[in-house]
Amino acid sequence: MSIATGRAASPLSARSAKKPNVFSRMAAHRTDYLYVLPALIVMMVVIAYPIYYTIELSFYRTPPNLQLRDKVWAGFDNYTAVLSSSVFHEVTLNTVIWTVASTFFSFVLGLGAALSLHREFIGRGLFRALLMIPYVVSAVAASYVWKWLYHSDFGVIGALAVQLGFTSEPINFLDNRQTVLSSLIVVNIWREFSFAMVMMMAGLQTVPEQLLRAAQVDGATPWNRFWHVTFPHLKGVSMVTVLLLMVANFNSIIIPFIMTGGGPADASHIWITHIYQLAFGRQQWGAAAAYAVILFIVMMALGYFYVKALTRGDEARQE
Amino acid sequence: MTTTATYERPRVRKPIDWWRWAGRGFITFIMLFATLPMLWMILTSVKTQFAAMQYPPQWWPAEPTLNSYIKLLNPNDQIGQDFLRYFGNSFYVSFLTTVLGVVVAVPAAYAFSRFRFPGRTFLFFSVLVRNMFPAVVFLVPLFILMRWLGLVNTHGSLVLTYLTFGLPLSIWLLKGFYDNIPIQLEQAARIDGATRFQAFLLIVMPLSSPGIIATSIFSFIGAWNEYIYAYTFLSRDDQMTLPVGIQRFFTEFATDWPGLMAATFLMSVPVVVMFLVLQKYFVQALTEGAVKH
Amino acid sequence: MAQVVLQDIVKSYGSLYAVNHVSLTVDDGEFVALVGPSGCGKTTTLNLVAGLLPMTDGDIVIGDRIVTDLDPKDRDIAMVFQNYALYPNKTVYKNLAFPLQMRKLPKDEIDQKVRAAAKVLDIVPLLERRPRELSGGQQQRVALGRALVRDPRVFLMDEPLSNLDAKLRVQMRTEIKRFHQDLNATIIYVTHDQLEAVTMADKMAVMNKGFLQQYDTPKNVFDNPVNTFVASFIGSPAMSLVPLEVVQRGDQAVLTNEAGWELPLSAMNTRKALKATTNKVVLGARHSTIKLHKSETVGAVPARVYTVEPTGDITFVQAFVGEAVVIVSLDPTVIVRPDEDVWLEFDQERMHLFDGETTMALSAA
Repeated sequence: MSIATGRAASPLSARSAKKPNVFSRMAAHRTDYLYVLPALIVMMVVIAYPIYYTIELSFYRTPPNLQLRDKVWAGFDNYTAVLSSSVFHEVTLNTVIWTVASTFFSFVLGLGAALSLHREFIGRGLFRALLMIPYVVSAVAASYVWKWLYHSDFGVIGALAVQLGFTSEPINFLDNRQTVLSSLIVVNIWREFSFAMVMMMAGLQTVPEQLLRAAQVDGATPWNRFWHVTFPHLKGVSMVTVLLLMVANFNSIIIPFIMTGGGPADASHIWITHIYQLAFGRQQWGAAAAYAVILFIVMMALGYFYVKALTRGDEARQE
Repeated sequence: MTTTATYERPRVRKPIDWWRWAGRGFITFIMLFATLPMLWMILTSVKTQFAAMQYPPQWWPAEPTLNSYIKLLNPNDQIGQDFLRYFGNSFYVSFLTTVLGVVVAVPAAYAFSRFRFPGRTFLFFSVLVRNMFPAVVFLVPLFILMRWLGLVNTHGSLVLTYLTFGLPLSIWLLKGFYDNIPIQLEQAARIDGATRFQAFLLIVMPLSSPGIIATSIFSFIGAWNEYIYAYTFLSRDDQMTLPVGIQRFFTEFATDWPGLMAATFLMSVPVVVMFLVLQKYFVQALTEGAVKH
Repeated sequence: MAQVVLQDIVKSYGSLYAVNHVSLTVDDGEFVALVGPSGCGKTTTLNLVAGLLPMTDGDIVIGDRIVTDLDPKDRDIAMVFQNYALYPNKTVYKNLAFPLQMRKLPKDEIDQKVRAAAKVLDIVPLLERRPRELSGGQQQRVALGRALVRDPRVFLMDEPLSNLDAKLRVQMRTEIKRFHQDLNATIIYVTHDQLEAVTMADKMAVMNKGFLQQYDTPKNVFDNPVNTFVASFIGSPAMSLVPLEVVQRGDQAVLTNEAGWELPLSAMNTRKALKATTNKVVLGARHSTIKLHKSETVGAVPARVYTVEPTGDITFVQAFVGEAVVIVSLDPTVIVRPDEDVWLEFDQERMHLFDGETTMALSAA
């Protein structure tokens, strides 16, 4: 059904060649930038500058008092020092265990809770609210509460274990190289599984009811319905949730920082706490910055997926 | 003559709905997991020190007392004075962060939603990417920056830092809200005689108030709970916010677990109440963007 | 009220032309419908008149002012939107009052005008309700009211009926027409529904792909479409278009297709057909101008019945002439069956011929 009227052809071809360049377009939209400007300034000052600074610090030896004029060029020394240090491997392994285990169990518990709460029943709202409180209260509060629960002499968990006959005397959860990391992971899961739950509950609402009915009529068992209908619909949300959890876990510091300070003997150090200790504990600014830059690169890789997952469909919307 | 048709009625025994029972079992387990630690915190906080330090533990406080709370909330007591000051500091910092966050995020989110200016996508992503980086990466340079700005040991350093935590999420959330407000409403307003700014102020702003509430809760809770920057930037006792201040109780009164639990409880009350009252917005904010309909 | 003149207006996004050099004049008190398929540029044109989009080139005149550089609020126009765009947080009363408040009218004058408009549109009982408590038809009325209350120079309407159900749409169509007659208002009305345009408008502007195709009274557009696009877009069912070849036999032209049959043309149609730039022409005919024969007839072309759709008082038959589908209307007493062979006779006086290359209508003159 193509159509061309007589007068149309010439102006179209004559004008279409002219494409406005970026600068004239920016000039045409200049007032639009005013709206974003305050946000940009804040972000620039507190983000762009620090990123630049971290990179710079990582190539220098800076005195403990952080007097920048006394810093000395060190090349890649800080990086080689970090990568060859004896704790690097243990801390990295801890970080991986911490991140993966926290993410995995939080997600699984959250998904389970979401599925159990998906059916309408009296008190569902109350259940959801109660489950979310650990996520809302600060990690500091969680750390103190769990530190008390884990207490080596008067901790309720140790006492329970004895009463139920699991052990003969209370376990010293936090002061034991074998148990400390898993104990901290439990706290972390306690705090954030309900985030996964809320996300998955929202995701479950997008599963078309008709499809589930159709599957039921077609003779699918509950498991089949979950696996073939529900789960594929949750893929997108699951991805975002897992990514967000990973990022949060990778970046979390408070729980190990307050509960154990990385101890005993570095057994619960993860990258973040280790960097903090290098910087503010031992004043090894250069090494800490080098660590941060490495972490940065890892995060950029994760960030690529994060932004991609988060902005699905956004660009489809047009004027 | 009538014939009675005989139909077969298959005998079916209703099977036990295992899935349902599994769900119930699971929910019971997870409820216990989530609530028991909180319950123990409260139970400990109403025990005397002596009652708290027993083995095997007193499962239920024999002689419950509100002493810990009274001490913390008594402005004439040294501990109470400190605690209330930390509480006030936390509130001041969180409130300021929230208000400034809204003021900065609203126009930015509106622009990202409505305008198509060159570099929009890049700027938007660079704002989002902020959330990818751990606090620690920024600690040292920010510390230097704050020292240079003369903001170390001021609440300004915290507000400025917390703003940037909140901004990416606030902008992202609010943009979602603005995306959902039909542009025709603004067009109608402009035809009805409003300027672009009036259309925004009189029509769009009131409609986006759920979004503003949601982002405000987030900024507030985030600022209220923040620990590591406050710990690093503040060393003056009278400036400290609650999460940091509480630690002082812990070290000075190392054995006062009921006191610490009571302080932890009081610290959690504002955010939990806020969450319970505005739960709907909180959940919406949390899931917005991740779940596209 | 005022006249509206579009002078060679252009809206482009980079190399993409949403509105391509459109010029037309809407006279004072005239009801003009912009019609075309989605994406044809009609809504963009309306938004340009409203000032909601920056224009790439050209000028717009409302009354005696060039409004090209004015803000929407300064153009003295009112607009009704497809989704009504009622302010959801305001009551009906406040929705109606908003344009007056923006013009800083005194409170009692606002009240008086709002009540007057509400009375005209029969929405007085709804004044204290909020938009979401109203039915679609009621919302539509409120939207009209908000446009009416200000007594603007021009009304712009963007598919105002397309969100209503079929029955309500017919009813509102009459009401808008009354509204136009009573107020003697200048109205520019965008619709994708050619029936709305034909029934309501004084003039219709048919657009496609950013170009203005034809601007004339509905009757003229219906009777003399300028090209195959307009021919196929206006009228329901659409005009049947059959691509054929023209061959000259002496001083008479005949139309043929691959099947080998020949359709001799009248003297006037011969003159038209021979004006075509190539030997390709398109024969256009409306269903009522085609006669169906059940046996071979001189001057009729063979066809095969595809579907038969009885609608009650008329039966529509779709038949294939070669590859092209031709729609014929029949008296329901005539019985035809799918796959039956039939012969179609085209009314030489009322048939249309289009150039097969340019798609433009061929004229005898």
